[in-house]
Amino acid sequence: MTVKEQLKKIIVEELNLEEISPEEIEDDAPLFGEGLGLDSLDAVEIVVLLEKHFGVEIKSLDEGREAFRSINTLAAYIEERMPR
Amino acid sequence: MHKEPSAREDRPQWTSSSIGSSFQHNIFYFLIRYGGRGVSYALLNCVALYYTLFRPAIRKKADYYLIRRFKTKNPFKKLFHCYRIYVDLGKALIDRAAIGIRGPEYITITSNDLGGLFKLIHEGHGVILLTAHVGCWQAAMAQLRSLNTPVSLLLHREEGDLDLHYYEHTGVSKPFHIIDPLGYMGGVLEMMEVLKKGEVLSIMGDRVFGSDRKTASVNFLGGKVRLPFSAFKLASATGAPIVILFSHKSGTGSYEMTLDRVIRVPSHLGKSEKEFYPYVVQFAETLESYTERYPYQFFNFFDMWENSGRQ
Repeated sequence: MTVKEQLKKIIVEELNLEEISPEEIEDDAPLFGEGLGLDSLDAVEIVVLLEKHFGVEIKSLDEGREAFRSINTLAAYIEERMPR
Repeated sequence: MHKEPSAREDRPQWTSSSIGSSFQHNIFYFLIRYGGRGVSYALLNCVALYYTLFRPAIRKKADYYLIRRFKTKNPFKKLFHCYRIYVDLGKALIDRAAIGIRGPEYITITSNDLGGLFKLIHEGHGVILLTAHVGCWQAAMAQLRSLNTPVSLLLHREEGDLDLHYYEHTGVSKPFHIIDPLGYMGGVLEMMEVLKKGEVLSIMGDRVFGSDRKTASVNFLGGKVRLPFSAFKLASATGAPIVILFSHKSGTGSYEMTLDRVIRVPSHLGKSEKEFYPYVVQFAETLESYTERYPYQFFNFFDMWENSGRQ
């Protein structure tokens, strides 16, 4: 399973998104607001989930702002920093 | 999936805009600088009396709380309570300015358990100070300098808010870092960054900023109010303990900062109202207890209560 696929599965399962399946999440759709519709509390949860599942920390606002744009950017962020 | 509420739905019931003009504020700052506390308080009493007797629209904003707290419909008693709360609010604002204009030593600030706060900070998960619009929270913030740990504060300043923060009178650097809840992602990433570094984050727990979705409906002074649970979500995600911290005016030139309660929130809670309800209840109970002890130092001048006939 690729990082993107893992991410989508984790987001749907752990954030209890009931109206969408992992396959339906588009890679470049915005995660927050009009896209996937996540909110700031989901952002808190995603930060925790990244540490738990990938061992990757979001250490600052600037890093988070860049990574949280879409599944594509989040996956790229993880792949760059994931412990080998 | 839910939709983000519209801006209209997000609009808060409260405002932090100042009632007086910039000129009127400057009169008080002048008196504090050259006359001191006594002269400023004397003028304050006249101003409070004027607003009590001749500004019914503003008085109505105080009535929402006062009627529930004192359970009186007697118009004269209501006027008296309104006058008292205006005076105490004014004293808090004067004292806040005095810390900046005359120096921190002009006001004595004591604490019931600063050592306990030190211990919590040394646990290394950061500490969330959950406070409210009571007493003089800026006096409490000034006292926190002695912790030698960076303090961040979740604060949005409206354009019409003319009251200067105490440090703005002196021109010194801000004693705390301000995180704007209207910033990216409601400021949560910045808040998590603060806690991950083991620092102190201060959040007001008595006003809703944004939609009702991140709130829990709890009992407060005989009715239901919606209070935010985001602080508890942050605590659950980071392991940071929550300290309910209030301040009150304990004498003419003194305040006491009270660490009323420590709340430990289990990890991995979700984001539903039900999960955070017990913790918001603890906050509401502590706040209600505060209003019993210091009825005129509770400064929320808007209708906090659900289903109370607000148009």
